Amino acid sequence: MYKLTGVTKTYSKRGGTVFAMRDVDLSIADGEWLAIQGRTGSGKTTLLQLLGAMHRPNRGVVSLGGQNLARMPEARLASVRAATIGFVFQTFNLIPTLSAQENVEAALVPRQLADARRQARALAALDSVGLADRAHHLPTELSGGQQQRVGIARALVKDPKVLLADEPTGNLDTDTRDEIMSLLQTLWRERGLTVVLVTHDSAVARRAQRIATMKDGYLSVALTPEDRG
Amino acid sequence: MFFLTYLRRELRHRIRQATVIAVGLAVGIGLVVVVTAASNGVKNAQGTVLHALYGIGTDVTVTKTPGKPSSTAHGAGAFSPGKNAQAVDQLAGGNLGLIDESFVARVARLHGVAAATGGLTGQTDTRLTVPSVSELGPGGQPPSSALNPVTFSVDGIDTAHASLSPYASGTISSGRGFRSSDARSRVAVVDSGYAAAHKLKAGSTVTVAGTSFKVIGITSQAQGGGPADVYIPLAADQVIGLGPYGSSLNGQVNTIYVAAASSADIPAVQEEIAALLPSATVSTSSSLASAVTGSLASAASLADDLGRWLAVAVLIAAVAVASLLTIAAVGRRVREFGTLKALGWRSRRIVGQVLGESLVMGIAGAALGVGLGLGGAAVVSAIAPVVSATVGENPGGAAPQNVTFNGGGRTSSTPAGYYHTVDVHLTAPVTLTVIVLAVVLAVAGGLVAGSLGSWRAARLHPATALSRVE
Repeated sequence: MYKLTGVTKTYSKRGGTVFAMRDVDLSIADGEWLAIQGRTGSGKTTLLQLLGAMHRPNRGVVSLGGQNLARMPEARLASVRAATIGFVFQTFNLIPTLSAQENVEAALVPRQLADARRQARALAALDSVGLADRAHHLPTELSGGQQQRVGIARALVKDPKVLLADEPTGNLDTDTRDEIMSLLQTLWRERGLTVVLVTHDSAVARRAQRIATMKDGYLSVALTPEDRG
Repeated sequence: MFFLTYLRRELRHRIRQATVIAVGLAVGIGLVVVVTAASNGVKNAQGTVLHALYGIGTDVTVTKTPGKPSSTAHGAGAFSPGKNAQAVDQLAGGNLGLIDESFVARVARLHGVAAATGGLTGQTDTRLTVPSVSELGPGGQPPSSALNPVTFSVDGIDTAHASLSPYASGTISSGRGFRSSDARSRVAVVDSGYAAAHKLKAGSTVTVAGTSFKVIGITSQAQGGGPADVYIPLAADQVIGLGPYGSSLNGQVNTIYVAAASSADIPAVQEEIAALLPSATVSTSSSLASAVTGSLASAASLADDLGRWLAVAVLIAAVAVASLLTIAAVGRRVREFGTLKALGWRSRRIVGQVLGESLVMGIAGAALGVGLGLGGAAVVSAIAPVVSATVGENPGGAAPQNVTFNGGGRTSSTPAGYYHTVDVHLTAPVTLTVIVLAVVLAVAGGLVAGSLGSWRAARLHPATALSRVE
């Protein structure tokens, strides 16, 4: 699915250059669950954004299904994001003026589906995360866990091949965290998704097949204890 | 449609800001409508004045400044007391120079000229009694009773082309107007004001320069006109009247009224006539407008200068405020747009969303602004200030001067009656063009504001937008 080769990403900051990623090589197989851990500023979110076609590296190749995202024009990157990649954010990033169903529909807008079809698919996605009865609620009328479920429904409504999650449980209490992670695991298994999840939480990371660790822009990958055991 | 749902929800969510933007645009638009309407009202008033003075349908007028008197001229109004008192009734028009009537036909043949006619305008019939030598006081001063002449104004009309003269601006309220066959007749049309004051009606007789004319009709001049009291056929006028300094009017006119074939021909016609009659003053409706003075001219200047700039300044301020508020709103929605980009929305769709919101605010501003403008224009029309307009008989040319010499030296003055001052009620008509202009301006203002905001949104990199802390 993903193959990163010699990827380097730098930022200009206060007149200097910051290396977010240094010569990173990484392969992620179809249907794999990879967790990325690391300290704040270690480059894990940058790695997730490169995988999500939201950034281009300064050097190296980011290949998704054989296509090099590093060389694609912005319009094609948008198409890749619209068709292939689903995002789940730490702060949910729901549009506050739209209802839960409309937030999910927003992910289908680039597909230009007919209104009825778009609405039906959004409602089905909400149903799959157990929120069909809250379809017309605004985000402010939902709990944190419910908002993240809407976020997951929005990520999955377009049937992506990849789900990228940036600290999806970072703003949730422990019980809700476990609920959300169980939901993600169920969906991963049912849909055969490739999941890349950034987290600080070792309990969350342990659910992944592999754990990658970012440190000062360098990446190291290890199997989970369960897989090794 | 998702676009409309999103747009409606966003505007409802930001109703206060959307209202401020729409009201700001509306104030600017309203001011543009009122100022433009008032400006149109001033132009209409100018048109009313000029049409009344020079005739509806007249595109160009040709006049001349009177020349210097010849050494043998004794002049109209120069009366020599005799042994006995003398009753005098004299028709004279000394304020405009004379033009040979043959030029009327030559002007009519010029390229681009639809019709031309000549007339004698601005003449005064004076009736007075010249005292006898024995009645003169010390130093040859006439008695006060001799200083109260009875006067009224007279215009000579080419009855074959009566539709091209100030006379045509009036409406016949009783009797009939001139016909071509009246050219050689002793008939007159009398202004309604003069007729009422002198109890004249169709069938009455009016005396001009000692000659009786049968009144065939009473005419009412449009508002703002400086009507003559009595209109008589040009041919009769040329026989009984006197020109400047007592010259004969035989075969002479003092104004040529010209209708151009089209408005596009007017400048060329003006040039051709100027070449044909180099010493004449050739005035078009636009140059006549500049010859109008008085509070009407001040109102025109106010509307054109201060009003227009004020409206433009308010409009620019409104668009600037709308732009700043839109940019600020986009600034607050950076993460939202970043999220949409992460979902696969292209920049142009996000730009379209922001532009759509601004367009709706522009349309709301336009509707409100047109309402404000109509209200403002209605207030201006309801107050209906009266403005005065003063126009000389020979606009564009120097005013003639009466020069007298006495013990104090040389004194010059413009002859009485040379200038017409008329009052016009100013209105502010709102035309469809003004409304369309207002809507276009408001929508353009909204789009400018939206473009600036959406330009910022379009430039956002999705990862950068998502990392923005709010």
